[in-house]
Order: sequence, then C-alpha cells, then structure tokens
Amino acid sequence: MAVEDLLRLFQTNPIYRSRIVYTGISEPESPIYGSLDQPLCNELSLYLETNGIRLYSHQCEAINLLRSGNNVIITTPTASGKTLAFNIPVFECLALDPESRALYLYPTKALTNDQYATLHRMEKNSGIHILPAIYDGDTPQSKRAAIRENARIILSNPHELHHVLSWHPKWSNLFSNLQYIVMDEAHRYRGVFGSHIALLLRRLLRICHHYGSSPRFVLSTATIANPDEFSMRLTGQTFKQVNEDGSPHSRKYFVLFNPFFDGRCERSMHQETKDLMLSSIRSDLQTLCFTGSRKMAELVTLWTREDASRISAQLADSIATYRAGYLPEDRRKIEKQLKDGILKGVVSTNALELGIDIGSLDVVIMSGYPGTMMSTRQQAGRSGRNGRESLAILVASSNPLDQYFMHHPDQFFSRSHEHAIVNTENPYIVSGHLLCAAAELPLKDSDSVFFGDLFPELRKDLESHCLIRNTTHGGVYAGRGRAVELVRLDGMVGETFRVVCNGQVIETLDRGQAYREAHKGAVMLHQGEQYLVREMDLEMHSIKVVQSDVDYYTQPLKEVTLEIIGMQETRIVDGVTFGYGDVEVTEQYTGYKIKRKDSTIGFEQLSLPPLTFRTKAIRIVPSDTLMKKVTADPDLDPAGGLHGAEHAIIALMPFYVMCDRWDIGGLSSPAYGETGEPVIFVYDACEGGIGLCEKAFTMLPEIFSRAFKLVSDCCCESGCPSCIHSPKCGNDNQPLDKQATALILDWLQNLKFMQDPEDPDFQKHAIPAYSGN
Amino acid sequence: MMRGFSYVTMTTMPSPSLVGNLWQQRMDGLREYEVVRDGNVFRTSFTNNFLYTSEYEQARQQLGAFREKYDGIPLSRIFSGKEKSTEAGVCFHISNNSEIPLPVFDSERYQQDLLTDLTLVKGIGEATCRRLKARGYVQISDLIHHPKYRSHAYQIMEQLNLNNSLQIMDCVGNRHAKSHPLILGAAGLHEPEDFVFLDIETMGLFSRPIILFGVGVVAHSRFFVHQYLVRDIEEELPALLATLDHLSDGNPGLVTFNGKSFDFPYFTDRLAYYGISQHNRIPHFDVLHFSRRRWKGRYPSLRLSALEEEILGVSRQGDIPGQMVPEFYEDYLRTRNCGPLVPIIEHNRQDVVSLARLFFFLLGETYGC
Repeated sequence: MAVEDLLRLFQTNPIYRSRIVYTGISEPESPIYGSLDQPLCNELSLYLETNGIRLYSHQCEAINLLRSGNNVIITTPTASGKTLAFNIPVFECLALDPESRALYLYPTKALTNDQYATLHRMEKNSGIHILPAIYDGDTPQSKRAAIRENARIILSNPHELHHVLSWHPKWSNLFSNLQYIVMDEAHRYRGVFGSHIALLLRRLLRICHHYGSSPRFVLSTATIANPDEFSMRLTGQTFKQVNEDGSPHSRKYFVLFNPFFDGRCERSMHQETKDLMLSSIRSDLQTLCFTGSRKMAELVTLWTREDASRISAQLADSIATYRAGYLPEDRRKIEKQLKDGILKGVVSTNALELGIDIGSLDVVIMSGYPGTMMSTRQQAGRSGRNGRESLAILVASSNPLDQYFMHHPDQFFSRSHEHAIVNTENPYIVSGHLLCAAAELPLKDSDSVFFGDLFPELRKDLESHCLIRNTTHGGVYAGRGRAVELVRLDGMVGETFRVVCNGQVIETLDRGQAYREAHKGAVMLHQGEQYLVREMDLEMHSIKVVQSDVDYYTQPLKEVTLEIIGMQETRIVDGVTFGYGDVEVTEQYTGYKIKRKDSTIGFEQLSLPPLTFRTKAIRIVPSDTLMKKVTADPDLDPAGGLHGAEHAIIALMPFYVMCDRWDIGGLSSPAYGETGEPVIFVYDACEGGIGLCEKAFTMLPEIFSRAFKLVSDCCCESGCPSCIHSPKCGNDNQPLDKQATALILDWLQNLKFMQDPEDPDFQKHAIPAYSGN
Repeated sequence: MMRGFSYVTMTTMPSPSLVGNLWQQRMDGLREYEVVRDGNVFRTSFTNNFLYTSEYEQARQQLGAFREKYDGIPLSRIFSGKEKSTEAGVCFHISNNSEIPLPVFDSERYQQDLLTDLTLVKGIGEATCRRLKARGYVQISDLIHHPKYRSHAYQIMEQLNLNNSLQIMDCVGNRHAKSHPLILGAAGLHEPEDFVFLDIETMGLFSRPIILFGVGVVAHSRFFVHQYLVRDIEEELPALLATLDHLSDGNPGLVTFNGKSFDFPYFTDRLAYYGISQHNRIPHFDVLHFSRRRWKGRYPSLRLSALEEEILGVSRQGDIPGQMVPEFYEDYLRTRNCGPLVPIIEHNRQDVVSLARLFFFLLGETYGC
C-alpha cells in the first residue's frame, strides 16, 4: 500500500476531508552534482570512488569555500550529506599538514558517538591518519594525556570545553595547530544557552590567538531566518552561507489537519490523532507519531491498540511507545523491529532524542505543533525511505500558533521566519565568562576585540570587587573558587533550585522558573513525565516532587509591577509611542488555580517573596486618538483591549524569534503609574535581557499585522485559547475584550511606519522612523 | 540608532555595579574545604579537605589576634627582607638559615644495587631474575651476552652509564614504583647544593595566584630558606621568576612533599598563565612517596606536619592549618594589615625546613654510610 492510498482515504472520508485544511506537495527532485575548484588528494578521490559517492552541489560549494579559507554555515536539511561536506576538507587539511588538528563540538553524547564512528570508518577506508578521539566526561583518566598529545580530531561538547580551557597549557599541541572548529546542530546554541556558548567560543579564540592559530569555523544548522546574524553573533566571525540543497528527494506530502476546523473540537486531539494513526497503519505504512507528553503518547498508543485489536491481535501488537525510560537495549530492539517490519507504528514524545538508527518511515504524525518550524521540519524529515513517497501530518492543537497556521497554510510553507537569537551583551552572562577568561590568561585591554563593548566597564566592575586584580601583566583572577565552576552554561547568575524526586536530582531551575513552575502544589512536566510538587525549601534551594498521574493541571497567578530605568530607543508614529530599553520588573506569585480542561476546580494561595530583576522591554503607548476610539464605544473595555493585544503579540513572538512563551513576559494597563497613561509592556523574562524584545522591536509592524490577522481570523465570539487567551496569564485571562483588541491591533498595523534609508536593515525590515519630539 | 530620552518613570535608578555584587555574593559562601563537626570521623572519609569545627574556630580567633597584634606595623618591621628584582618586576624576599645534618652517601652501594637489579631490563621479572642470577648473570652488564636480553640490557647500560639522575630515575621508574629506594638513591648523584626544596602557598586549590614561594637550598653547610612573598598580585610573576631561577642553573634536583601532584604542576601552570613555558625536565624527588613506603601503617597520618612531629620531634606553636591560608591572605589583601601574613610565612618556612630534614633523613637511612 502506498501513501497515495492513504491520501485517497483522506479525500473520500467526509470526516477526514472536513478537517484537512491543506495538502502540500513537494515534487521529487533529482540530484544536482557539483564540481570542485581543485581535485581532491588521491586518498580522498579513491575513497569517494570506492564508495560510489558523487558530491552534490552544496557539498562542493562548502568544500570550495572552506578550502579558500572562509568560515562556512551550512543550512541544508538533515540527510543532505552535510557531514561529508565538512569531513572532506578537514581530512584533506590533516593529510596535507601532519601537525594540523580539528575540534568537533556536539551538543549531545549520542551525536558525538555517531560522528566518532563515522570518522573512524572514513579514516580506515581512506588510509589518512587522523586519530579521532572523544574527550569528554566519560573519557577514562588513563587515556586523557595521550589524546591531548596525539589525537588530531578531538570530539567533545561545550561543557567539557568550558573546563578544558583552563588547562590550556596541557593542550598546547591542539591550540597551536588548530585549523578547524566544527559545530553540528549549531541552531541549538541559542537563547540563554547560546549566549553562553558564544562567550565560550570567544574564550576559545582568545586562547588560540595566544598559541598562534586562527581556526576556521564550520557551522551546520537547521533552516533559520537569520544565518548571517546568528553565525556572526555566535562566533564573532563572518561566514559564507551554503543553503541550496543538491541532494535528491522523492515526492513528499504534507497535510495540515485541524480538529478545530469548526471552532470546536468535539472529540479530543488524542482521539483524532489515534484515528489517523490507525488509518495509516491499516494502510500498511510504517508510522511514527510525535506527541507533547508521555501521558499523551501512552493514551494514543492505548487507544490505537484498543481499536486495532478489534481488527486483529497482530495489528494491535504492531504498535508500541518509544519511551525515555527505556534502556538502550530496549530502544535498539524497537528500532530493529521497525526496520524488520514487525512494528508498524511507534508513538513518541517530542522531547525524546531519537537515535539515528530509528531510520526512516513512511508517515510521520505530529500531534500538536512542536513549537518551532525547525522541529517540525526535523520531525517531518523522518518520513521518506529509499526513494519512496512520504507523508507528514500536522494535527493542530487549540494554541494560537497552531490555529494561525491552519488558517494561513501559505505561511507554514513559506521561508523560515524563525530567528535564532544569540545575545552577547547580557552583562550577567558576559561577566561570568570574563572571570573564566581572567583565570585562563591575564586580561588585557586588547581582549576587548573578543568581548565587545561591555568589556571595559565590566572589567572595572569586577576589579572594584577584587574578583580580578589589575597588574602590569594584565587582570588576574583572584576570586574564590574556580571560575568555571561558578559559571553554569545553561543558567543565569543567581541561585539555582534542585528538583528532587526519590532522592535524585532530576532538574535544576533558576528562582524565577522555580516559583513559576515548581511552587508547592504545582503539577509540573519534565521530559514528558508528570510530577507533583510536595514542598519547596527556600533556604536549602530544594524542591521535593513525586511522580504523579492526575487529571488536573495548575496555573500560577502573579502580580507584576514594572519601573522604567531608561529607554534606549524611542519612536513616535502618529502619536503612538514605541520604546525599547531597560526596566526593572517585580513579579510576585500570589496563588494558583487548579484546572481541569478549561474549567477551574480550585484555588490555593502561595506565600512566595517577590522576584525583582532588570531586563529589556518594549513599551507601547497608544495615542489619545486611539484610546478615545476605544472608550467611545460603551461595549468596549480598554483594559481588556490592551491586555488582549499584549497576549496576541506575545503569542506571535515565537513565530519570529525562537523562544518559549515562558521567555517573554508582559504587562498592560489603561492607566499606568504616575502619569496614568495607557501602556503595553513586553519584556524578556530573564535577568539582563536575552535579545528577544530587541529583535521584536525591529519587526513591530509585521508583528502587529500578523497579530491582527490572528485575532480577526478566529471565529470565536469573545476570545479563546486560539487567539487572545494565554495559558500563562498571571491574571487568569482577565480582563479580555476581543473586539477592543481587534480595534487596537488594526490601528497599530495601519500606522504609517516609514522605512528609514539610513538603517542598515532597510532591505529586510520596515522600521518605525523617528518623527517627533 | 538614536538615543531616546528617559520617559516618565517612578525613580530613575543610578547604574550600580549589580554584576560585581552578584558574583561577590556567589563567592562569599565558598570555601574549598569542609568544616566538619568534631569527632565526625565518618564525614571525613568522603573528603580529603576538611577541618574540624574546633580547628576552624581556633584559626578564626588567631586571625583576629594576629590582626590586633600587628595593626599598623609595616611588613619591613616584622620580617627582615628586601626587594628582589627580576625581569618582570619586584617581589619581597625573606631569608633565613639554620643548621642541617647531611648524610654521607654510600655511592658504591648504590651503584652496586643499581647494576645488580636485573629486573630493570625489560622482560625480566622477579622469578626470571632469580633464575638468571642462579645461572651466573649477576649484573646487568653480564646480560649483554645473553641471547634474549642482550639488546634491552645494552640500552639500560647506556642509560645508567650517563650517570644522570633523570635518566636513572626514568629507567627505574619504568620498572618499579616511584617510591622505590633506587629512585631516592639517585639523589646521591647530586651535590647537596644542587637540591631545591620547594613548597608553595596558594590562594586556592587551582587556577588562583601563588602567594608565597618557599625555596630551600644548602649552601656553605647551612640550610637557607628563601621565601618570595607576593605582597600584591602584581608580584606573583616576579616571584615565579625568582623561584624558576633556582631551578635553572647547574644540576638542580627538585625536592617536594606531594609536589608531583600539587606544587610543581601548579608552578608550571602559573608560569604558562603568564605565557612562560617551562619544558626542561628536572629530576623530582617527592618525599611523600618515599615516606609512604617507609612509614605507611606506622603512623595514622603521613602529612608533613605529622611526620615532622614523629620523626623529627618538631612541634609547631600557633600554627594555622594549610586550608586557612587563602582566607588569611585575602584578609591581608583587603585590610593591608600584615598580621595574617605572619603565620603563613612561618608555616611555609617550617614546611621547607622539615621537608629538607625529612629528605636527608630518608636518604641517609636508605643509602647513608
């Protein structure tokens, strides 16, 4: 049975047909081969020939660019042969210069291990002496010295590198001869984590400079909207991009499926997913289903098996869940059974890292939008075996973004809008790495080339606290403890809370997250598993949880106040003020609601101290004319309108900047502070800001117009989770007025934002021009 | 980019150095040792670096006492020292000397032991050695005629004939534990004046400045302790160079207590930190290893302070635990009251003296006449 048969079923079955919003088809592509500017060395030419490999256009492009000394960022899709594109120039370089070395960085161990196997194979088959070696937490002590001295490709991860840098004298062979730094899955280095990695890479380059090498970078990422900006921010270097994919594809279908097509969803999303799963399996197609939580994965599996058992026991047995808790042997068993055809359907959670060996399948069903187009593409990319047709189905949830795509399929299939944000100007992040850098080599004035504009001020600040001592030989680290132990790559300065279950630490959270997601009584999700918080000890910074399986969820309520420290940018367009700058936010969690589905079944109070932090925010002050329009109509609530607009803007930000809803906070009021002006604030929810609002500020006109579409498209009466209701509203989604919101957003999107020709981003973004005061 | 102007605002905050404060707060609670309730012996097995509460309290009290006693008194009035000039600046040099009994080295016996140790040859273990000796192969040189071992034996003979302590230590170290008497005995290939006894005090266990270098040398039959004090972090590099100087001329033999794990790697790391690479291999005699071999099981603790009491009969008055040195030094840096430096300098001096005495004692016991 083929994918086409399933699609025909979708067309003929009235239930399916009504829910299918769109079927996208991408036609098969033949391979486009490329040519190299110069022939490869003999060993590599022979290697390719023996293995029957012809290089695609993008591989040749990457090789040509790297050979010419460029830094390269490759954004072609997975399975397009990116690995070979960088392994070849690295091998060639190592073959020509017996002293040269390369560093490969991976975000996870599984990927490191896979790449090691690939390199080892290539070394054996080509006869080029590479000596690849993994150097990370698992490397036995006895092997470490030899690897440091002799290995020519070192495979590691950022956390290990963070520690290794302070031992640089022992690594002088590597740093003196480093030619390439290869980073795969580099799009993961975004947000707070990415900003830390960016600073870590600056420290690495500083040490390379000390030893006299200037390595080139190869970044391999998924498709993002801002590869130039991202690569520059992450490494401080300029890059050439390789994005035209020359690898072959067979026909792919992509179906957008909306259970909420009529505004309601009579059966649950789980049931809709289950039906699709069953139809797919009955069509004899290998199917992989991704869900948002383990609970949901189990439900879908359970119900699919139940229905399947009515047809045959064998069919029911061909469906399994792929779980995090499984031992590697169990997972291998499932992977093998899928390959052998014993298993027809597997249900997994989004959070789970699937091993490479799970192979490819015929159909991928995504139950709920995974959160980013990037994840969507990666999950959808799992379908397609050996030149056969493949199908991916996105089943929409009630979330605004999901519904937005259902109503605007063209946006779903358009070029990526998602920007990967890396911010190298958060003083809390930068200062931590300055301490580490000072412990590696004395800080010099010339180091500002690595650490940017904040360097002089931060250095002075750290020196005034005697954490770094200034000498004629440079700034010397003199703090207590090892600098690298003080700086956590995935956190902010400030205390962390340990989440403990059965005596084991399962997660660490910073204070804000802890109060928000793990207050006493909260139902929290971690890696798809559900836990109930029994107690939170503020002094010991520990949170005790137990595994749970309840049918309710909790929603915290908070009070937010905000003080403006200083606006860096202010624009006024038609009387509406737009500002971007520093604010001080105070959040206090006062209690939480206990909810089942959409109704509240209980409420509890919380006594937690307020959280105060400084960050970056966008400030929008509607004009008098606009507010008059709103207040003129007695049926419209100005407070509800501003609040709804705030929610819509926040809901859409992930469309433009890759982040979580939790990464952004908001506050709105019809009469705020001393001046009593109407205002909407949107801020980065992390101390010091992380660049989200900074980017959004340059895209306000687009955000407003999309937000307006989101609200006006929604066929609900007065607001719903698909448009202006926010699952994380600290005010319990009160007050909200959909019509007032629509009016305000319409006004904002119609403002005459003039393009400023002076602006370097003139070509890319429409920016509100300064025109007043 | 245009600068906006500060709108409205409840209060316009000055820009305080929030960042520096935060890090300082994070660090304030940090200590690299654990303070353990007295008598809690179980806890101490989990960590090597601990202090009993009573020791900690006592040390804190001493800190206060030293501060009071030396309040307002400059360093030059407390210690007679002078500035030592180096290429990279100056540091403070304090010097003391005392008597030291030196053993007479039985060179012949040592050579004999070396040359008759057939197990130095690759491929020969204890059993084979006995068999070979029974068949008349008494010395390594005899094996040059042996069909199986001739080439390795030849190699060893070449190495041994260089009469170079480093070569001999390498050779022996390849086949025996690093605490083996033949390694200690290689010290006999040096003149007493060649030895450099080193003990450092640091601001922490790793990647922080060294604040005091204790260097002991034998000269004119007296034992001199040269201490290079870092009065300000500015002086760390000069002090490093002053110490390195002792290791550069002649035929130096480095002697330390646990220096193979701590002092020497720390020293070379700090040199590398300032961009100075130190690649010359220096023969290194670590007295901790020899002490363990000699006294393990005999005394409950093999720390230098314990051994100096048991073996040398030294008992220190008013000493502070080594773990407290960073705190005392930090206090001095902050207040510029030299009181806290006093016990650090005295502690270090005594360490160097005991190190030397212990070393010569062991050497005398092993290969003394």
